Amino acid sequence: MKKIMGFVMSLVVLIGVLAGCSDSESSSGSGDAKGEKKVDLKIWSFTDELKKPIKKFEEKNGVKVELTIVPIADYPTKLKPVLDSGVGAPDVFTGEIAFLKQWVDAGYWENLSADPYNADKISDKYIPYVFDLGKDSEGNVRALSWQTTPGGIYYKRSIAKEVLGTDNPDEVGEMLSSMDKVFEVAEKMKEKGYRMFPDEGAIRWFSQGDNPQAWVNENNDLKLTDQKIEFMDYAKKLRKNNYTALAGEWSPSWFEAMDKPIKVKENGKETETQVFSYVLPTWGLHSVLKTNVKESAGDWAVTNGPSPYFWGGTWLGVYNKSKNKELAYDFVKMMTQDDEFLTDWAKETGDVLSYLPVTSKIKDDFSDEFLGGQNNYKFFLDQAKKIEPGIVTKYDQQLDTLYGNAVKDYVDGKKTKDEAVKEFYRQAKNAYPELNVPKK
Amino acid sequence: MKNLDRYGYYFIAPFWIIFLVFNIYPVALTLYYSFTNYNGSGTSEVVGFANYARLITDSYFLEAFVNTWKIWGINFALQIAIALILAAIFSDLRVKMKGLSFFRAIFYLPNLITVSSVALLFGILLDWQHGSLNLVLLNLGLISEPINWLNEPATAQLSVSLILTWMWFGHSFIVVMAGVSGISRDYYEAALIDGANRWQTFSKITLPLLKPILLYIMITSLIGGLQLFDLPMLLTDGIGSPEGSLNTMVLYLYNQAFKYNNYGYAAAVAYGLFIITVIFSAIVFKSMYRDQKKQARQV
Repeated sequence: MKKIMGFVMSLVVLIGVLAGCSDSESSSGSGDAKGEKKVDLKIWSFTDELKKPIKKFEEKNGVKVELTIVPIADYPTKLKPVLDSGVGAPDVFTGEIAFLKQWVDAGYWENLSADPYNADKISDKYIPYVFDLGKDSEGNVRALSWQTTPGGIYYKRSIAKEVLGTDNPDEVGEMLSSMDKVFEVAEKMKEKGYRMFPDEGAIRWFSQGDNPQAWVNENNDLKLTDQKIEFMDYAKKLRKNNYTALAGEWSPSWFEAMDKPIKVKENGKETETQVFSYVLPTWGLHSVLKTNVKESAGDWAVTNGPSPYFWGGTWLGVYNKSKNKELAYDFVKMMTQDDEFLTDWAKETGDVLSYLPVTSKIKDDFSDEFLGGQNNYKFFLDQAKKIEPGIVTKYDQQLDTLYGNAVKDYVDGKKTKDEAVKEFYRQAKNAYPELNVPKK
Repeated sequence: MKNLDRYGYYFIAPFWIIFLVFNIYPVALTLYYSFTNYNGSGTSEVVGFANYARLITDSYFLEAFVNTWKIWGINFALQIAIALILAAIFSDLRVKMKGLSFFRAIFYLPNLITVSSVALLFGILLDWQHGSLNLVLLNLGLISEPINWLNEPATAQLSVSLILTWMWFGHSFIVVMAGVSGISRDYYEAALIDGANRWQTFSKITLPLLKPILLYIMITSLIGGLQLFDLPMLLTDGIGSPEGSLNTMVLYLYNQAFKYNNYGYAAAVAYGLFIITVIFSAIVFKSMYRDQKKQARQV
């Protein structure tokens, strides 16, 4: 009898442990929850950004949602086979700008231009370039986004006041409204012992100049505009005239220079200097500057550069073989079109939305302490509206990298401009044999 | 008597099923892809030998081949040299070094660190403006301008070689030591009595008797070295900068497949790499076999 009791007791304990496990797993909502509970909707993404919205969605609809987070480096390679086979596939999945253009044409996302979604009807409610990016090559909407990620130049107010006589973003923006003006400011900075940018890469977002064009046109021709070639000289000038602090993007010194004076070694001597500005988009404020800056918080402001640009962004759409498309689209709708939810979301996170009905209501009430009380929301919305739609191609990410290397080789003096351009063409052709590359 | 053969097959079946599904099938599928223009999604066409034709004329693949050999070669020479010197010191009858197992563990430690941590660590140490290495060299007055280690082809390749050496010499040392302890002490004592000096002992006794061990290290290191990928991938921008000097064969394969979506061509690169590995392994095997035959004849 004792033995049986003992066996029963241990069984009870074991079950308790197991139940505890499965409980904690499913409530954390992480991907590999193997709980027995029925999941109504599966979502895949590469950040934990969607956790809170999902919770809200669950409460609102009384459903169970499972979020799988795959780090960005593995995301496309892990998602693809799942979508191909349909086994364990998500009903909703997100796409990052780096591979968005490839995916809208890959045929995994449901056509949202068709019935019953008719997403085209709401096209004028969005920032044009954001809506446009979610379209496939035939013009059908495949994915939507709740955010817009235009960029600007973040600068330190105290330095601006000392060198430029003002820290007003509009006035400073006027002084940075063309490349030549940027160099005038850079020279002034240098005279007072400051550096304009951390490194040459900072100005790459302005390489389009006043002639924004797609890297590859509809005939698969690779287009290297004169403005982009001219950009090489701008980058070289930054280096030659010591306008940068030689702190490469994402390097330890790049981060350090945000908050403190840093030492620069060049021409055989070491100088201590401060960096005036960083070229970053909307998310740069929340996930780069705010997380790395302590002392100079409140001393920052954001303004425009020579031309508008955007950097990054997340889109989401419905898997076309999903068995639960209605609920899936409900989630997409909440993320991208729900006034109430989006208002809360924007206020909570500071995320700049692409959905105009909400932004027009809330944009005037924003002010950020970190930026000395500036309304960055309004600024970014204005920038976003100026961005030319339709010039993003699936090649951009890699071609930008390859061209960045060509520029770097020229700046470092390893290659002449012609050699650098030629090497860029060779590499582009090697990466994408289908492209027509100028024979030069 | 009942034939029980089939039970044997049942027992090895799990291995074969897993081997077929996870090894043979992908290998065969890759071979198929290498004859197509598969781009990662959607349909693909069979293009015959076009990918292979491109491979043998591809200057970037040739560059990757040369880079891989350079980086591996320098690393291997240094790694073996250090391992042999250390082995000679630790096995010397006159020196009588203590704490072999302690040093063995210490030397092996770098190998236990994941490559991504190593890359991060050296990325910071070798930083152009703020890296410790440049600071030390500047303060010692050995250089007047900071050296941008990872921005010049020669120094970048050398950096990777040296990091690899640092990571692997402990491993080679352990294997060499195992070989040395297999050599009978009698030889050394005899040599000592005959008045042989250290170099003679080393070159006439240790080295010849270590040959099989050295060849073993060479083959395993070669196969690993030809697949060099992680360090070059993580140290710079992942596409072989500066100026393609860290573009190794597997890195090239990876970029063709997962960055540029040329899966068909990447499959051909994989088979190219396979053929190269087979050829060089065969050469090493052959030379070892010939050596053994020669030795047998001499005996």
